[in-house]
Amino acid sequence: MMTVEDIQRMMSSEAYVVDKAIAISIFLSIQLQKPLLIEGPAGVGKTEIAKVMAKALDTELIRLQCYEGLDANHAIYEWHYQRQLLHLKMLEREDATRQDLDKAIFSEDFLMERPLLQAIRQPKSPVLLIDEVDRSDEEFESFLLELLSDWQITIPEIGTIKATTQPYVILTGNRTRELSEALRRRCLYLWIDYPDFDKELMILRSKVPAVDKELGVQICNFMKELRAMKLEKTPGVAETLDWAEALATMHFDHLDKEVISDTLGVILKDWQDIRTVSNSLSELLERTGVRSKIG
Amino acid sequence: MDSLITRQTSLSGNVILLGRYLRSKGYNISSSEESDAMRSLSVINLKSEYQYWNTLRAVFSKNKYQYENFEDHYKSYQHEMKKAVDSKVKTLSGDKKKPVKSKTPSIEALKSWLYNQPQTDEVQMSSFSNVEVLVKKDFAQMDQDEMRLILQVLRELAAKILRKKSRSKKISRRHSQIDLRQTLRQNLRSGTDINDIVWSEKKIKKLKLVLLCDVSRSMDLYSRFFIQMIYAFHKGSDRIETFVFSTALHQVTDLLTHHDYDQALDKISKRVPQWSGGTKIGTCLDRFFSDHGHHMLDRKTVTIILSDGWDTGEESLMKDAMKSIYKSSRKVLWLNPLAGHPDFEPEVIGLKNVLPYINGLHAAHNLVSLKKVLALL
Repeated sequence: MMTVEDIQRMMSSEAYVVDKAIAISIFLSIQLQKPLLIEGPAGVGKTEIAKVMAKALDTELIRLQCYEGLDANHAIYEWHYQRQLLHLKMLEREDATRQDLDKAIFSEDFLMERPLLQAIRQPKSPVLLIDEVDRSDEEFESFLLELLSDWQITIPEIGTIKATTQPYVILTGNRTRELSEALRRRCLYLWIDYPDFDKELMILRSKVPAVDKELGVQICNFMKELRAMKLEKTPGVAETLDWAEALATMHFDHLDKEVISDTLGVILKDWQDIRTVSNSLSELLERTGVRSKIG
Repeated sequence: MDSLITRQTSLSGNVILLGRYLRSKGYNISSSEESDAMRSLSVINLKSEYQYWNTLRAVFSKNKYQYENFEDHYKSYQHEMKKAVDSKVKTLSGDKKKPVKSKTPSIEALKSWLYNQPQTDEVQMSSFSNVEVLVKKDFAQMDQDEMRLILQVLRELAAKILRKKSRSKKISRRHSQIDLRQTLRQNLRSGTDINDIVWSEKKIKKLKLVLLCDVSRSMDLYSRFFIQMIYAFHKGSDRIETFVFSTALHQVTDLLTHHDYDQALDKISKRVPQWSGGTKIGTCLDRFFSDHGHHMLDRKTVTIILSDGWDTGEESLMKDAMKSIYKSSRKVLWLNPLAGHPDFEPEVIGLKNVLPYINGLHAAHNLVSLKKVLALL
């Protein structure tokens, strides 16, 4: 049987640094076969969890990106209308009866599987990632509830399709909209925040091994100070990694004012933020510099 | 039946006790969560306490707030359990700290603080273009002409925001885009020829708003402006409900939709005898929820409360009312003009209590900050 430590090992072998709390949540979600709802600020690796899970479990990742206006047709199935039309035209010549027509064009051949239908028809349990579920509409959310509790989908023309295997479901959200109580109750909950200094350094070292040791420490210190500032868009771990990658490619081994102000665009994506940070750069550097000397 | 505080020796007993304790802290825990918890505990290593409470956290908490406070609750529960001598009767309510008695909010003090604000900050910026100055100017310091200008801008902004194009489609008579799904279905009845084409277009998403505006004395400098703003909003949409409150709640939607502004304001002040009086936010919000909440609030409605949070009523009432409102709306925004002051902290006890039940606390004391709020709708 799998243990929490196994999960941790599996995830870290895919270069994803998990702390115990995250590992336990993933473990429970697999064991209890319950969906895991992950919330947290942008760029802390919510989506990444599903990707790494799929790799670690050696199974397929099926991803449904939610957006406003997403409906059942895009999430579950859709008939291939163009092909149906062509087929109808072909059948016309053969004088087919209505029943034949019906049968012919509403068959599996014309059915386009969308992520949710695809996910329940896999031979091996896949990881189903329902990304940014808070961007979808209320209607879709209640629709999702049905699927998550019964694991079956009804297509009027064909009948009910029962899940062959139950997928591991990961839902992510940025809290753009408050999710319904009902959906929350179906799920286990995990909140991922920005990592602390040590964890971020670990992530950095495992993801960007090329980065200089001292530089890594400086980067993480700088990011920590940066996140303490009041910014429009606080940079996440993804930005840290991009930055480290960029600095490593350019063969820098330490941070200084010039390097930072030249590469600020990698970590800050808002012009006002860039202006604010550029203005207080010396002060920021001083704070990170002192800290790294003590550390 | 054992009393609540009886120390349980069995694991299941403990989980249920903790569940009960957390329920008193606002967690939604039903028997299904408890059975999930038991199932989870059967698959983890029970020797590690860290794993134990982390497991329970994953199962019991359902949002960020609960997730982050779980450790504290768990610890205080443990603490409580240590104090409980085996099966002695005690009530758990001892743990609930008596809420600190709020200092009587001195409205006068607040007002003098408001008036004493240096008015020169914005004036010194005259080298900027006029607009630049105006958008940063506090609403309370504006004269009639400036106000009129601002309202003009707001009306345009409101019209845009209140009618967004949705990405969902609806069937349309206009020939914009073919809806293949419907076209095929319609024509299948008549055979294989395509005779009718069904068109679709994007739905217009009208925003549903509920505005609750505080017109008590502490808000005097701003409430008149906000009423004007709401008036501008009403011109842009028919899906807005407006209430004003001080010591009692009054629905004024009908007044704002029909009359011209001066008349409307006149009628409102007639209808609201306590204009510029004291505040009983809790009572009013509670009243709103019980009388109107069920048919006005749904998951598509944004509730906006304009108030400084100075409540002279009971604290828990305001908190409970906010909780109910928060649960049934899509978003709850609290606009507090005083929040624009650099030294502002949500010190007012009432406000502090409701922070978990609002999506955002915003200043909205000048056009720049108001614009930010509108973008959130």
